[in-house]
Amino acid sequence: MVTELFPKLVTLLSFATLGAAFLLIVRRDLAGQVRLFAVQSLALAILAGVVAAFTRSVELASVALALALLKVVVIPRVLNRAVAKIGLQRAALPYLGTPATLVVCGGLVVIAFYVMAPVAASNPLPTAEAIPIAFAGVLIGFFVMVNRRRALTQILGFLMLENSIFLLALLATYGVPFIVEMGVFLDVLVAVLIMEVFIYRIKENFDSIEVDRLGRLKG
Amino acid sequence: MMLIALVLMPLAAAALLVLVRPRAWLEYIHALAALSGLAVGLMVAARVWRGDIPTAVWGLLRADGLSALMVVVITLLGAIAALYGLGYIRAEYDDTHLTRVRSFFALFHVFIFTMLLAVTTDNLGIMWVAIEGTTLATAFLVNLHNTPKSLEAAYKYLILSSVGIALAFIGTALMYYAGASRAGEIAVNWTSLRAAASSLNPQVVRLAFAFILIGYGTKAGLAPMHTWLPDAHSEAPAPISALMSGVLLNVGLYALMRFKVVTDIAVGAHFAGPWLLGIGLLSLTVAATFLIVPRNYKRMLAYSSVEHVGVICMGLGFGGYWGVLGALLHVINHALSKSLLFILSGNILLKYQTTDLRRVRGLLRASPLTAGAFAAGTLALLGLPPFGLFISEFLIFRAGVESGPLWVVILGVALLAVVFAGMLGSVNQMLYGAPPDNMEHGDPLRWSLAPLVVNFSLLLVLGLTFPHAVAEALEQALRVLGVAHA
Repeated sequence: MVTELFPKLVTLLSFATLGAAFLLIVRRDLAGQVRLFAVQSLALAILAGVVAAFTRSVELASVALALALLKVVVIPRVLNRAVAKIGLQRAALPYLGTPATLVVCGGLVVIAFYVMAPVAASNPLPTAEAIPIAFAGVLIGFFVMVNRRRALTQILGFLMLENSIFLLALLATYGVPFIVEMGVFLDVLVAVLIMEVFIYRIKENFDSIEVDRLGRLKG
Repeated sequence: MMLIALVLMPLAAAALLVLVRPRAWLEYIHALAALSGLAVGLMVAARVWRGDIPTAVWGLLRADGLSALMVVVITLLGAIAALYGLGYIRAEYDDTHLTRVRSFFALFHVFIFTMLLAVTTDNLGIMWVAIEGTTLATAFLVNLHNTPKSLEAAYKYLILSSVGIALAFIGTALMYYAGASRAGEIAVNWTSLRAAASSLNPQVVRLAFAFILIGYGTKAGLAPMHTWLPDAHSEAPAPISALMSGVLLNVGLYALMRFKVVTDIAVGAHFAGPWLLGIGLLSLTVAATFLIVPRNYKRMLAYSSVEHVGVICMGLGFGGYWGVLGALLHVINHALSKSLLFILSGNILLKYQTTDLRRVRGLLRASPLTAGAFAAGTLALLGLPPFGLFISEFLIFRAGVESGPLWVVILGVALLAVVFAGMLGSVNQMLYGAPPDNMEHGDPLRWSLAPLVVNFSLLLVLGLTFPHAVAEALEQALRVLGVAHA
């Protein structure tokens, strides 16, 4: 019973993270985007918890807890602080409109399934089925980063990318070892804090956080 | 024990630098940390060269022949850049900017710490964390002057490098998976991965290496992922540029080399080689295109790093004993010459207050010492004898002639000739002519340049002789990379 349910639950939760990524593309206000990131992280933390329960791994359970603390509580708070401080709530002005973006992302999902098929097929773990979904999340995170002009949305794209990579590692190997995961979390936290400072500085220097304005270095 | 000291000393120094108040103390701690880092680095390397493989912290830290080589490069050039940095920061910032002085010194040592950790850990996940750490440590350093341009460079650098390296993490996870599914429970250790390499699933390894190549290739500054490099390296303060171009790029290459060893065993050398050749050749082409008429001398040096990383990559791609030997030698030679030139570029910037190549004229008359060293360093960088780069480039292309394809060798050499003409012409323009009228005669920071004597002598030693100790050290690194003597 449990062994049958487990892969289904994993696939369902993986789809939830992908769904959050898709919604983030459509969403226009920054606060909503931050909330979607928190939702995605929560789904991911629950998924990690489920895998931990299935494999009876204390290490993975603590990783799930740390993930929830970092990406559901701390980082969204930092981002909300940034949104409040720069006083921007408006749309994030993508280069491509919503319909075109959705088509591109649909294409990315297809590519992800194509690229990751050999990995998923050769993997004996019951979670392997969902590996292409995780990779689709990686590609969509990339796309969000190049398609959105606003520094804050780029950072959200980066965080979603990071989430998808965590998911990928979780599905393929039940997660990388504890110490590595903690190091990665530390890196992500520091990266977000540095990016926050840069957002303030960009706002100060260019009176805008649209990265288009950053175009002086050429050649 | 020594290994732990090597890695933790710079971190402790950084912590002290945050706490201490008076500027004189900051400078003492900074210099002391850099010099003792060099001493411990040499001691660790000496132990490795005597045939020992020191490990610490339950195998988390491990130094073999390849690590030893990198440790020496990092600590030696770290010390040289640190000493120049003392004078440079004094010239740039007076006591009213103490916070910036402090963050420069503290982040400098955090930067050294992350690089040392990356090359002395056996755990590929920790290596990834450390290499991402190098980006985080240097992001603020690139933006130290807090000008709009440096802000743009730092932001671009942070975003592009973080995304690039995120791909390397996928590659690492896939390798881990390939190892774990074959050899049962393994750690993400390079040693265990290498031991299990012949039984890894080749399809997964191929995919993993593609991610690794793009990911760590971004950190190494290989085209087409190099776009952040000219900005970041030209906007950073000179001592940091020297380390980023001369040393940090090699840390990216180091990671690539580690994975290439495993990939070569798992799927055969015919897979990774052509990819490295292609990406190396592309880097060379991109750099040569810019270097025909550079407009900014710091960007010129940065693009030249793209070129040399490309040459190293080609050496790895040609492979075989001579190709990899040439690549390793070129890592050392490029580190020595590029850090030298970036340090001198700091002097030129202090003198002329501009990085615009067309506005630097009459350098020979304005600051003869800087100019002479800059000219000699450029000749070394362009691969002229009697300097070491001549030998390493010769070895790499010789390996190419042996293993082919020949057109790659011919194209590579032709591109080097283009770079040669472009850079030499530009440097000539800087050296000759009349300096601006109101410019005082003399070199800034004369004594801070003294450590560059080390760079020059080593470049000459590597160009004219091939000491037994160097040969032995390289031999050990080559064994790690799985190339036995022909």
